[in-house]
Amino acid sequence: MGSAKARILLLALAGALAASAVPLPAAPLATPVASYEISCRLDAEKKVVEGTELLTWTNTTTHPAATLQFHLYLNAFLNTRSTFRRESGGMARGVSIPDASWGSVEILRMTFADGTDLLPALLYLSPDDHNPDDRTVAEVTLPRPVAPGETARVSLDFRSRLPRVYRRTGWKGDFFMVAQWFPKIGVLQEGGWNCHQFHANSEFFSDFGNYDVSIDVPSRYRGKVGATGKRVEERTGTGDRVLYRFRQESVHDFAWTADPDYVVVKDFFREAGLADVEILLYVQPEHASQASRHFRAVKAALSQMGRVLGPYPYPTLTLVDPPWGASAAGGMEYPTLITCGTQLIAPASVHRPEEVTIHEFGHQFFYGMLASNEFEEPYLDEGFNQYMTARVLRATYGPNHPVVNVFGYRFALGIDENYPVDTNRRYFEVATQDVHAQPSWKFRDFKNYGSDTYSHTALALSTLENLLSVNIMDRALRLYADRWRFRHPTLTDFIACVNEVSGKDWTWFFDRTFYSSGDVDYAVEKASSTPAKPPKGLFERDGKLSEGPPPALARVRGYDSVALVTRRGETALPVEVLLRFEGGKTFRSFWDGEARWKRFRVAGGPRLLEAIVDPDEKLALDADRTNNGKRVVPDPRAAARWTARSVFWMQNFLDSLTVAW
Amino acid sequence: MSSARRPGALACFGRGLRLSLSKPYLAVSLWLIQLLLASVLILPVSNTLHDLLDDSPAASRMVANPDLGWWETLLRTHPDLLGNFPDLLTGLLTPEGVTASKLGGLRGMGAAAVSLGLLAIVLHAFALGGIFGTLREPHGSLVTFGREGMRRFPAFLAFTLAALAAALSAYRWVWIESGVALHDRTLELQSERQVLAITLARLLLLALVLSTIKLVADSVRAIWVARPDLPPVSRFFAGIAGALSRPLRLFGVLLSSILTVLALYAVWIVADPSAGGEARFALVPLILTQQVFVFLRLLVKVGYYAGISEALTRTPSPEYSYVAAPPPPPPSPSPAGDHEPALENPAGAV
Repeated sequence: MGSAKARILLLALAGALAASAVPLPAAPLATPVASYEISCRLDAEKKVVEGTELLTWTNTTTHPAATLQFHLYLNAFLNTRSTFRRESGGMARGVSIPDASWGSVEILRMTFADGTDLLPALLYLSPDDHNPDDRTVAEVTLPRPVAPGETARVSLDFRSRLPRVYRRTGWKGDFFMVAQWFPKIGVLQEGGWNCHQFHANSEFFSDFGNYDVSIDVPSRYRGKVGATGKRVEERTGTGDRVLYRFRQESVHDFAWTADPDYVVVKDFFREAGLADVEILLYVQPEHASQASRHFRAVKAALSQMGRVLGPYPYPTLTLVDPPWGASAAGGMEYPTLITCGTQLIAPASVHRPEEVTIHEFGHQFFYGMLASNEFEEPYLDEGFNQYMTARVLRATYGPNHPVVNVFGYRFALGIDENYPVDTNRRYFEVATQDVHAQPSWKFRDFKNYGSDTYSHTALALSTLENLLSVNIMDRALRLYADRWRFRHPTLTDFIACVNEVSGKDWTWFFDRTFYSSGDVDYAVEKASSTPAKPPKGLFERDGKLSEGPPPALARVRGYDSVALVTRRGETALPVEVLLRFEGGKTFRSFWDGEARWKRFRVAGGPRLLEAIVDPDEKLALDADRTNNGKRVVPDPRAAARWTARSVFWMQNFLDSLTVAW
Repeated sequence: MSSARRPGALACFGRGLRLSLSKPYLAVSLWLIQLLLASVLILPVSNTLHDLLDDSPAASRMVANPDLGWWETLLRTHPDLLGNFPDLLTGLLTPEGVTASKLGGLRGMGAAAVSLGLLAIVLHAFALGGIFGTLREPHGSLVTFGREGMRRFPAFLAFTLAALAAALSAYRWVWIESGVALHDRTLELQSERQVLAITLARLLLLALVLSTIKLVADSVRAIWVARPDLPPVSRFFAGIAGALSRPLRLFGVLLSSILTVLALYAVWIVADPSAGGEARFALVPLILTQQVFVFLRLLVKVGYYAGISEALTRTPSPEYSYVAAPPPPPPSPSPAGDHEPALENPAGAV
């Protein structure tokens, strides 16, 4: 080989190596079903995003698809007649919807791969409530059915008008959180399209795919655009514009944000046995001092959730801190991008920003990779995630401390708030008002939806963990995560994993705690201990009946003790009962908890001090722990001290009423 | 021209404190009134707590520390005990404030506490008459306190109710309505710092208005007692003018008393005698400590009223500088007079 040829070869090799230095897309983690190539342009003044979308969709069912259904989520904000607005009653997650919050997504052009114009055949559907004014689901009829296994391409132009930010999407000033913003295909299942309307209390459901999105923004947003996936390109556009391109494989949604005020902070997560992750935090300048708290929280979640559920597989994670006045964009999850929730005054003893960050990261598993149907089984993402969030918070920070809000300033109180029972107490208020496992839009109201899907599920899973053991629970969760990663699991699938790992059928537990509206409450109604007495009456002695017990029976010692334990709640769960005696002796008994009551007797033993049902507090679902025990000899100290304190507080209260006049 | 040195706010407050210490029965009477009012709830609170706690295994851990779960369960399972009383207390301090309609949610002991509060306001009007009246007596006593209180009760109750109405109006218009009016605008602000600054400004304005109302009311009370020679209407307006003519001094006295009370609360919070369970403070010493604290706070309170009285009556001012003309000099003795009996004391008069 001549030297010239060798040089050419070396140059070619160097070129190839240089080319390979650009990170090539890794092998997809999931088989793509619905992939998108989107080019969009933000009109920051008009608050409009215009774009073109190329959808590549594969029919994974065994039946041909004659139609396609699309989510047009932004049309939930079209007017007051949409299903979302009707159900919400002008409130979005407890916050009143501001005026000028109208939003929409219009499909301007839609063509099939063969060039057929699909737009004339577009219909709006309302599969959930038959509301003729709702435009959040659209259907088009194809010129020919897409055969099973066949991949179809649809090209469309759209214009999305963003609302003043609420319900996790929109703008405030120059800030943009662009989510649920493009026409998105539903999920075709064997039974047909699963494409629900946008409800007041619902989230999302989509198929996995690969996203390649180009975003054209004004140049003042240079370096201040964050999005799902990894940024692969930044270039100056025509005019005073800048263009970003993001790519991510094996996700089922894409969101992005832009704000010229962002301070961008970068950190890395690296831990043996888990994948490396680049963490990008887009934080508001006035919250920049809290960056380390976000990083510590998300690293704890990456580590602890990763060890239970398997590594977080994506190379990047983007954290977004919305500005003041845009908190409605906070506390939300999108694939590889989450939004935080914090305040300027956030005492360290109140783990509020940490809790939001950990919770939203947890959705990378429960929703992101374990892509359950958030419309139909909201507890599978919110509830399971709430349970895991509490575990991470408890292990990382210990108890939380509630705050009192004084004229907008938050002061922590010195009261322990333990995870998960204390942080999910809202469930107890509505414990019997709804079936706990039901579609998100069928709950009585937002309070019930939140209390049941988040808090009830977290408490139910914590109860299950206590009954199973942490080890079995972790193995069940891992099996569930490994088996259903990048698929669409249901609660039945999780139950199967629990049964498989534990070797027992726990279906009854889920029947009682998820598919019912029952509550759990065990109580000790009565505990007593009296000196044992010899028996009285006629006893046989030397073949004759005579009054008085024989000497052997007459010699009695100790106490006769009785504890009456009752099941006040509708839901029966197995429970332990502890009897504590003088001299430090204890007696533990297991009760299946099925009957309405059970009496425990100990004859001739030491004096009973107290009886406690569920002494290890395994039943996190127990709505009233204050009745879980009974002392035989009352202890008046606590009541006396709190009475004294109450009088003191009352004196201060009365004095405060006479201060100002 | 008078060159009398005007005492400063601190001096007035210091004198007031000395007066308060010299007449401790005034603070004692205030303490008794508040204790008697508070004691109305002792039995219901005590019985309820004993009923809920004595048999419970939670009692031992509740001796020292509050238990969030117990408290939440109590409010949930016994809404009849307090109603929305805790929400009212915490809501009062939120930017949204509390409106009168929320009083409808009070129940049981919560409702009783608010009723006792109203009664305390009425009794405080009586006590203020007693305090201001006794402060002007060189040798007062509890009897003086009671007599002066009853004597001025109608007028002082009217002042109290007027001040109360003004303060509630200020709370509504300065705090709640401004919050409502600014709500949407604050959402459009660039940063949370700006919102906090606005909240702080509203808070300061509210404090200023409430302080003004209080100082005017206390000034009227002080002048009402100090100038019995003036007709009621003149006394009333002289009181208002007294507050308006010495705003800084009166504010200074008020601020001094507030800071002193805050210092007392700071000491209380740091020492925290309520915490730590029975090992730290047994019940009787705890109760005694609490009552000593209340008494000290009331001493400061009486000191404040005495300080206001000092600031208003020790310094000359245009509306209160009228000094009666000196008595005419005794007529110069005349030779003839020596032989005339004095008119008032005629010879032989009985």
